Amino acid sequence: MSSSRTKFYLDKQNSKWLGVCAGIADYTGVDVTWVRVGAVMLSFFGGFPWTLIAYWLVAWMAEKKPYGLYDSPDDAKFWQGVRSNPKRSTAEVRSKFRDIDRRLADIEMMYTSRNSRLADEIDSLR
Amino acid sequence: MGDLIPIVGILAPIIGVPWLILHYVTKWKLAPKITQEDENLLDEMFNLARRLEDRLNTVERIVAADNPDWKPATPAIHPTDYDIARRN
Repeated sequence: MSSSRTKFYLDKQNSKWLGVCAGIADYTGVDVTWVRVGAVMLSFFGGFPWTLIAYWLVAWMAEKKPYGLYDSPDDAKFWQGVRSNPKRSTAEVRSKFRDIDRRLADIEMMYTSRNSRLADEIDSLR
Repeated sequence: MGDLIPIVGILAPIIGVPWLILHYVTKWKLAPKITQEDENLLDEMFNLARRLEDRLNTVERIVAADNPDWKPATPAIHPTDYDIARRN
């Protein structure tokens, strides 16, 4: 992989105008409708020229989101979590590994204990 | 006092709004970030964990099919859609 998944991108594929709101939604995981409603509300109540200037500045500076950045929706969700809280995402991955370890230990235990039972039965036959 | 009100009215959006924006931009910059290497590592670990889990699901299914009295300790946090007794 070449492009970073923790950067802000313009989401042209889901854009209404320049893709800034869709990009924010993709970055944070907030629904795109709420981002747009929030932007429009902010423009109405006081921030009129500033929101538009900020919108243009962001649209001018940020890069477009590369195609195929995520393999699956699961992947996209995971990276959203990484962007908002990398520590929690790392902890999640670690807990996944621990879970795998525990389940593997269960299987190992099943086989080793059964073999020892078998050995006991062979001993009793002698 | 009467002269002050329009000045405040003009200054508030000119100074107040960029101040607000810059305040949150600084806060955002100070938030914990991960480097590109960390990102690559995390990506690999995440994919590895997912692949291992898939493999383990298969192994558990095989073991459960061979030993009917054994029940795998399926995690409650990820409900899986496969049936443990299913056998290909």
